[in-house]
Amino acid sequence: MPRVLTTCIYCGCGCGLYLISDGKRLTGAYPSRNHPVSRGALCVKGWNSYEFSNDLNRLTAPLIKKDGKFIPASWDETLGLVVEKFKHYKNTFGPDSLAFLSSAKTTNEENFLMMKLARAVFKTNNIDHCARLCHASTVVGLSLAFGGGAMTNSINEFKDAEVILVTGSDTTAQHPLIGSRIINTVKDKGAKLIVIDPREIQLAKYATIYAQPKCGTDVAWINGLIYVIIAEDLHDKKFIEERTEGFLELKRTVRDYTPELVEEITTIPKEKIIEIARLYAKARKSMIVYSMGITQHTTGVDNVLSLANLAMVTGHIGFASTGVNPLRGQNNVQGSCDVGALPDVYSGYQSLVDGDIRKKFEQGWRVEGLPPKAGLTVTEIISAAGEGRIKGLYIMGENPIISDPDSNHVRKCLSEVEFLVVQDIFLSDTAEYADVVLPSASFAEKDGTFTNTERRVERIRKVIDPPGQAKADWQILSEVARRMGYKGMDYKHPSEIMDEIASLTPIYGGITYDRLGPYGLQWPCPTKDHPGTSVLHKEKFTKGKGTFMPRPYIPPAESTDEEYNFVLTTGRVYWHWHTRTMTNRTSTLEREAPEPYVEINCEDAEDLQIRDDQLIKVSSRRGAITLKVRVGHKVAKGTLFIPFHYREAAANILTILAVDPIAKIPEYKVCAVKVEKI
Amino acid sequence: MRGKGGKDMKASKVKIIGKKKIKDLLREASQEWNVYVPQKWSDGDVWMDQLPKDKQMLDEALEDVVLEDVDTVISPKDIFFPQLESIFKFKDDKIWETPEFSPKLIFGVQPCDLKGILFSDDFYRRNFEDRYYVSRIQNRLIVARGCLRPPRPTCFCSSAKTGPFAEDGFDLQLVDFGDSYFVEVGTREGEEFITMHKKFFSEPDGNYDMTIKEIKTKACDSLELKVDFQNALSLMAQDSFIPEENYRRIGERCIYCGGCLYVCPTCTCFNVFDNVKDKEGERVRNWDACVFEGYTRETSGHNPRKDKWLRTARRYEHKLKFDYKVTGLSGCIACGRCLSSCPVGIGISKFIQEITEKRKIM
Repeated sequence: MPRVLTTCIYCGCGCGLYLISDGKRLTGAYPSRNHPVSRGALCVKGWNSYEFSNDLNRLTAPLIKKDGKFIPASWDETLGLVVEKFKHYKNTFGPDSLAFLSSAKTTNEENFLMMKLARAVFKTNNIDHCARLCHASTVVGLSLAFGGGAMTNSINEFKDAEVILVTGSDTTAQHPLIGSRIINTVKDKGAKLIVIDPREIQLAKYATIYAQPKCGTDVAWINGLIYVIIAEDLHDKKFIEERTEGFLELKRTVRDYTPELVEEITTIPKEKIIEIARLYAKARKSMIVYSMGITQHTTGVDNVLSLANLAMVTGHIGFASTGVNPLRGQNNVQGSCDVGALPDVYSGYQSLVDGDIRKKFEQGWRVEGLPPKAGLTVTEIISAAGEGRIKGLYIMGENPIISDPDSNHVRKCLSEVEFLVVQDIFLSDTAEYADVVLPSASFAEKDGTFTNTERRVERIRKVIDPPGQAKADWQILSEVARRMGYKGMDYKHPSEIMDEIASLTPIYGGITYDRLGPYGLQWPCPTKDHPGTSVLHKEKFTKGKGTFMPRPYIPPAESTDEEYNFVLTTGRVYWHWHTRTMTNRTSTLEREAPEPYVEINCEDAEDLQIRDDQLIKVSSRRGAITLKVRVGHKVAKGTLFIPFHYREAAANILTILAVDPIAKIPEYKVCAVKVEKI
Repeated sequence: MRGKGGKDMKASKVKIIGKKKIKDLLREASQEWNVYVPQKWSDGDVWMDQLPKDKQMLDEALEDVVLEDVDTVISPKDIFFPQLESIFKFKDDKIWETPEFSPKLIFGVQPCDLKGILFSDDFYRRNFEDRYYVSRIQNRLIVARGCLRPPRPTCFCSSAKTGPFAEDGFDLQLVDFGDSYFVEVGTREGEEFITMHKKFFSEPDGNYDMTIKEIKTKACDSLELKVDFQNALSLMAQDSFIPEENYRRIGERCIYCGGCLYVCPTCTCFNVFDNVKDKEGERVRNWDACVFEGYTRETSGHNPRKDKWLRTARRYEHKLKFDYKVTGLSGCIACGRCLSSCPVGIGISKFIQEITEKRKIM
């Protein structure tokens, strides 16, 4: 009964768990007692993480589509075809006729190789991944404000917080081992909790103050809090003076955001705004926790910048249990950003516009002519594929048909792209559109590292062999590079890739497999003797002084009207993971949440004469889906919530392809829809 | 080789074994048995794992064997009731089973966990015989090891009288005595084991009975967490005594990970599903948990335990009321694992404190 310590595949908590196998397949998953995150516990997804990779319907051989049908083929033939096509497009239409979607489900090493393949081998910066869809606003926003787009504190610091402000994060459902810490701190240690969320989530029950803003009005209430803080002289003048710049501008911007105006915009009563501002500002140790509810807006960067303003104006950053904490969604979305699977930076957020940095990578990779211009983002790549500007698209471990906004648009684009390669563990909805499908290994079938939301670089370890001819993503990518005639991507083991990452990436500079041990290391870890970093921006911000970047409130891209009179907001449920390709193959998880549904407020249900469990049609300007109703109080009147997991009634058929102008993140959290009885 | 035995035979004989000889004993025993013993990993986690058969790997594994202050996340229940288990496989029109029936020596079982094993063994044979469980457990020898100190801060066995030493149910029981262990013999099978490996054992000197008694009393006193277990059982036996509010509050705090049930030595529920591709596949069962909504959802969609608090109530009622009514034994064996594996600090010991001391602590 081999037992192997590894890292959970699901969320950004990065729990340490042991996988058990019988040599051929996984037979169990147990939490590590001593791991700093799991500490003897897991959420239901972690406890059941052993099941999906055993599914007999895994991809086990490379597939080539011939006459509309997938035919199993050899690796040699399949990769030969991929390389032939990609070479042809590169030579005929230029490198930027190619694009690569990397994956936050795969390891740091694999993301690094994907970007190396795109940049060093194919000479394009058209590389991006699903961080674009979740925390692109954080990466941009917190970099502008602080100089680094990551959680400023660590998971075990929640226990000493005095006030925790949670907004746009259903923490107990999406980061259960963080949500649970928040409950414990509040219930057992008397910390105060502020929850600001359009949905009355489980944490709202523990909140000293719960406020339910209208979707997409975050800048308004955050500016409102800062207004009150300055008006009541609760700001930290010493901190502002010594550690920040741009305060006067902030003061000028927020002076319009009186509690009265904020109430009008957000529907949060003005008394609550004042109360929240006082509670947050007066405590010594206040932590902000946020997630998709803040980032997935056309004003995503504005929202993040505003939260950064709030933390800096009160001096609530740079200390233990005090800071700004974006909870990263995917197990390795922090890492896939860190190692540069993004169109505008190399690993360690090093700008590719900087000639010296480019030169460093050219030398490190022994290539010439790395492209200096930023590439396209996820949604731009998909659209360009539909328009014929991208001829060859290589997707590793992503499922944009279900995960990207406006699914019908994505389907159209992917059916029109000339050559689509999909590398995955199952034949996903996206893989159905592929010309070539490459079978890859699951998290239990390879070595590597994930970086969790608290910047902890942790090992994953091989427990069993991949099924059939499936191979680890890093092996497949290396083979593609080799066939392209590039000699710099031959590795015997992922540890060699990490050594390369460390040599080119200052924040990972001190990281080697030998040093990671059972619990990993938190970056920044610049040198081989550096112990890692639990709190960011301690004496000074990464960029020097923190910058206040005040933003005015801008309404969402699509507002309701007479016909489309409901606001739809989308999200996830506790039991499923994203496009459900793994969790629908996990018996307990699938049983707990087998069907798509839409949450509606009781009053709306009564007005429309709709009963619980009744099937209804929800449509937007882009499409319509039919699904069951769940009547309750979780959402406010006029708002609907639909989890996006289900292909059977994909919420993203309804969502709008409107993006933040800087971060290019889509506005999953607000669009206008109507409800019809069927 | 043996049936369920061992329950009615009081410890009557005592031997002694030097601690240094344990490794050699295990090495020798592993020729005949699949030996399960706690082993410490480099990160400090301890698991009750099977010793490898390969000689070199066995030697390495023996270096990691620990018998003192052992806190395993899970009880040894998974040796007989694995998290995932094959029921049968099929291809085209053929079906076959792959039963597991190896001889198992479970060495270093904590007394609370021993109670759990005996409880589940009884359950799985009570109304119908679960052949998969029985096949795994029937050929087993259990060497218990009493706890001098509570391995977990959440242990409360002395309150439930399920530890820190077992009174019966073991084949052999180790009583820690400095450089050696007293070995209490509980069954004929235990005695046969000693005879088989007699070179490792010797006769104790002097008034060892008294020494053992003192060790056990001291161990009992070392448990700080004490709850009014008997009182809780009798309160639970009175219908509708526990205010609904208690269950509602706990149900609200629960994040439904299932951990408390997965780690519980007496939880026996499983789900059954098929892993199929074309005409080939496998029927498997894996651990289930009664706190999940889908556990009681009926085909019509109706669910008699739809509300969280009803499921919470059922869990406590099952462990502390119905099990007791049916078997005369509590379903909780006071190992404290539900609390030590709960992300939000819910545990049966706290529930007992709440109802017996009439205060809110969760």
